[in-house]
Amino acid sequence: MSRFLVRRLIHGVVVVWGVVTVVFFLVRLTGDPAAFLVDQSATREEIEHTRRLLGLDRPLAEQYVAFLLAAPRGDFGNSIRDKRPAMRLVLEHFWPATVELAVAAALLSTVLAVPLGVLSATHKDGVADHLSRLGSLLLQSMPGFWLGLLLILLFAVELRGLLPAYGFGTWRHLVLPAVALAAAPLAQNARLVRAGMLEALQQDFVRTARAKGVPERAVLYRHAFKNAAIPFITVTGLSLGFMLSGAIIIETVFAWPGLGRLIVQAVPGRDFPVIQAGVFVFALIFVALNLLVDLLYAVVDPRVRLS
Amino acid sequence: MRSARGVMSWWWMAALIVGFAAATADAQTVDGVAVDAEAELVVAVPDDTNNMDPRIGMGSTRSAYIRQVFESLVDVDAQGKPLPGLALSWKPVGDLTWEFTLRRGVTFHNGEAFNADTVLFNLDRMFRKNLDRWGIKDVTAATSFEKVYPTVSRWEKSGDYTVRIHTSEPLPNLWDAIGREPLVPREYTVKNGIEALNERPVGTGPWKMVVWKRNDSMRFERNESYWGSPPLFKRLRFQVIPEAGGRLAALRAGQVALVDAVPPLDAGVLGREAGIKVVSSPQKLYCRIYLNARPKDKFDSGGKDGLFGDSRVRLALNLAVNKEGIVQKIFHGYAQANASPVASVAYGYAAQEPYAYDVKRARALLAEAGWKDAGPDGVLRKDGETLTLQLLFPAKHYGQGFDETTPAVAEMLKAVGVQVVIKTIDYGSLLQTVTKGTLPYNGGFSACRTSNNLDADDYLRDWTAITLINWVPYPPELAELYRATRREVDPQKRLKLLADLQRRVRDWAPVVSLYQEVKIYAASARVLHFVPLTDLHMDFRGVALRKP
Amino acid sequence: MRRGAGAALGSLLVLGLVAAAAIFAPLLAPADPITNDLLERLTPPMWSAGGSAAHPLGTDTLGRDVLSRLLYGARVSLVVGFVAVIVSGAVGVLLGVLGGFYGGWLDDVLMRAGDVQLAFPVLLLGVAMLSVLGPGLGNLVLVLALSGWITYARIVRGETLSLRQREFVEAARALGALDGRLIWRHVLPNVWAPIAVVATFSVARTIIAEASLSFLGLGVPAPTPSWGAMLDEGRNYITTGWWLALFPGTAILIVVLVINLIGDWLRDVLDPRVERGL
Repeated sequence: MSRFLVRRLIHGVVVVWGVVTVVFFLVRLTGDPAAFLVDQSATREEIEHTRRLLGLDRPLAEQYVAFLLAAPRGDFGNSIRDKRPAMRLVLEHFWPATVELAVAAALLSTVLAVPLGVLSATHKDGVADHLSRLGSLLLQSMPGFWLGLLLILLFAVELRGLLPAYGFGTWRHLVLPAVALAAAPLAQNARLVRAGMLEALQQDFVRTARAKGVPERAVLYRHAFKNAAIPFITVTGLSLGFMLSGAIIIETVFAWPGLGRLIVQAVPGRDFPVIQAGVFVFALIFVALNLLVDLLYAVVDPRVRLS
Repeated sequence: MRSARGVMSWWWMAALIVGFAAATADAQTVDGVAVDAEAELVVAVPDDTNNMDPRIGMGSTRSAYIRQVFESLVDVDAQGKPLPGLALSWKPVGDLTWEFTLRRGVTFHNGEAFNADTVLFNLDRMFRKNLDRWGIKDVTAATSFEKVYPTVSRWEKSGDYTVRIHTSEPLPNLWDAIGREPLVPREYTVKNGIEALNERPVGTGPWKMVVWKRNDSMRFERNESYWGSPPLFKRLRFQVIPEAGGRLAALRAGQVALVDAVPPLDAGVLGREAGIKVVSSPQKLYCRIYLNARPKDKFDSGGKDGLFGDSRVRLALNLAVNKEGIVQKIFHGYAQANASPVASVAYGYAAQEPYAYDVKRARALLAEAGWKDAGPDGVLRKDGETLTLQLLFPAKHYGQGFDETTPAVAEMLKAVGVQVVIKTIDYGSLLQTVTKGTLPYNGGFSACRTSNNLDADDYLRDWTAITLINWVPYPPELAELYRATRREVDPQKRLKLLADLQRRVRDWAPVVSLYQEVKIYAASARVLHFVPLTDLHMDFRGVALRKP
Repeated sequence: MRRGAGAALGSLLVLGLVAAAAIFAPLLAPADPITNDLLERLTPPMWSAGGSAAHPLGTDTLGRDVLSRLLYGARVSLVVGFVAVIVSGAVGVLLGVLGGFYGGWLDDVLMRAGDVQLAFPVLLLGVAMLSVLGPGLGNLVLVLALSGWITYARIVRGETLSLRQREFVEAARALGALDGRLIWRHVLPNVWAPIAVVATFSVARTIIAEASLSFLGLGVPAPTPSWGAMLDEGRNYITTGWWLALFPGTAILIVVLVINLIGDWLRDVLDPRVERGL
């Protein structure tokens, strides 16, 4: 088990290193931020001076090595726009804003999915099932930001500010963005649970349990659901990863001051340190989540450990 | 014997009278309306500032934040006219010296005194001199004074409240250049380093910064020992709400009392709502299409001169644009057409004959310049060259009106035979292109220009040296005329020279001028006496909040 | 399954209609989607007050006809969706075969590269790459194609690996049989089913991704109409110009919905175990 763990850890480190390296060179291909910082009437010398101050005139390889040496210490340089340490800026936006949003959406999309999926499975082909499946299909076919716009239109405009459309602060600000972010994964998870439950319910051991007179509820949860749990865990883990990705656009729509929005704003501004630090955090979280899912998988299904 | 009740009632009366007196003594009124001196005014703004250190840069957003905390020698009124700020007066002494007399009794928020030493320190920072001596780091500054005003030679104090600045050539607008820079405290900066100016800014202004939550809000508190009359309410908060719809929703829901950057389309609707006032003012944001007219050795040209070197062509393009149409249709009246290169609210602005919307005359001018053969596609040709404009368009950088105007203008230019190819790029790439000089020979870009200064010189300077914004360098006569405006010390004579230069630049038409923007605010009825400035920031001195 | 087939048939029909509308856009569109006319700005759809039959679905902020832009925008969405998936499918299959067949360091590198790419939030990769490459339809397709190859690669690699281990393959190779024929005859028949299912859902996802990138301002550059860009233009006018965002949003919804239905049916028919809910 520990060998498995170590292997996965090393794998994770390699992946994060790969991500960070790709980003490092990718953003430097987009040009440099010096031109942003000077006045419109700046001459080329002034821009060169600015580049020198920012350390951007050194050869690329040298910059990369300096970056690799500093990064493990948490030093990703200073944000070019804000002039403060990039990692600090990134963490300020990551916690609590993005974390709150991602966790709220993840909770919504998993916790609500279970009863919905079970209901659908047990009332297969009934009205509830059809409604639920139609709803799932609709939610999965909508761009998340469109749902966000519709929610804004409904709650903030039509219903005269029942829920705030923009900004961050109270739990009320969290509702609309979390719902918009959770909608598609919720639909997907509900369908998963339903499919898993259906398959499990048809298994022999369920029929055996029923024949033995085990109460229906126990049949459902103790036997069927546990089997459906494995793919469910996988998807939930990946779902959290999707949350991070989807959060980028939801944060933009709702002006949620999170990490996704910070990075999206940093890209046109060529704020390299912030982009690098931000992507690093994202990659780290993603890899950690995957590791966790793998671990859970290994715990639940012994066959995995041996592979 | 006096009855106990009689004595008691006397005491009650006395108590009532005293209490009443005390209560009314606290009640403040403005124009007879009771105001709340302890209130908080929440302003919805579209963006956060990157920095509070004024040296790093001031644009329209940043100025609003920075100038609450820091002040400059020269203050400005609502019409853009200069007022005494931290300097009581300024005057030229001879041709080569400007003397500033400083206000006395001013302290920074931390108690440090403001005096001539403060000003000398700030001048050192602005001109990047003696930084080692002060032990502070250089910043990547937006304006390098030493490059833009190279004739400023030295500065000194004469007593604690007089500063003299010497130049090697006459510089009549030096008061404006130096006077608008917000000043930072000397001892505080030297002791705490320049990062402290961003993290815990300390200025002389009417507001102290209390809390800064990046990309979310900034809270200020009244400076009780302000040298002028302290603000009439206690707390101020700038709340960042990037979407205009969000800002307006917040206003309607009562979460904010003042909204900055109201879109023109909404202004009309809002103005009709009860409890909301819409106020507006012309401002210095001046949007244009810049055309490539540089000679081939001045940019990465591949051997061709800029296609738009003929001023008749540029003038024709100006005549082809329906500027009133833009003002009415896109901005619903909240913009101005301006034929002068100088913003209408600047000192030294002289109104010029507007560019008429005259497609026939435009075509005639183009024909005169040699562009008379229209191909089957309607595009004009000359010597095997088509009249194509590769227009770099920085979408989503300046606001919706700009984003809608550029394609509309492209359409108008097509009507006179110009083939416009719009290349939407992000602002960073545009900066890159103009910095490196890689704008194509038939290229141009749309962009807006604003100014931190009050004087027209800031605008007319655009076409002197080869900078990223100068793609049509002054011909010798105009360059000479510009230099003359820089040298003339007599104000009246200088205004005449400036007017003359503006008229000639109008005819020379270096750019296609599009519009000058009007800024629009919406305030709840609780807010009293909010007056928009033509300058870039917001001034809350004199603003009060009605008691609910 | 019969019910599923009905829905799938209906979906194919709808998709066909959309494709036809896109192909015949020049004939169907009432106006040029690019010419702007300030005077016609923001007219509502013809059933609202102020609307006119000349612009059945209204006009946008530059006076361009919404219906025309919707029709031409279908081209962008469909082209980007299908081409990107075809390219990423082809690349993914190729790389998966190479990795699975030759194994060794090539396989390792490919799998690591895939992991690295997966650890990028998809949208962020798109944003970063488009900033480098600049806007453009080709670049957009490239970026979207690049984000999907891994899934196909993994499916094909799995099959190829198991194929390699079978004895008759060893024998065949010893006899000098071409690797290509082996792959063609043994790997592809087993993988085309899951790939078809994945590809179908990919098209739906890619259309949404294109809309998202356009919404962030990185999609097909103006003035080419695209549904995502129309949504982006419309978001500032949700109250005053509701038709600007409603129609392209609904269009995306319908197209993605029917593609998802087709994908569901394919999955049920071809292989119920594959990609459950993915």
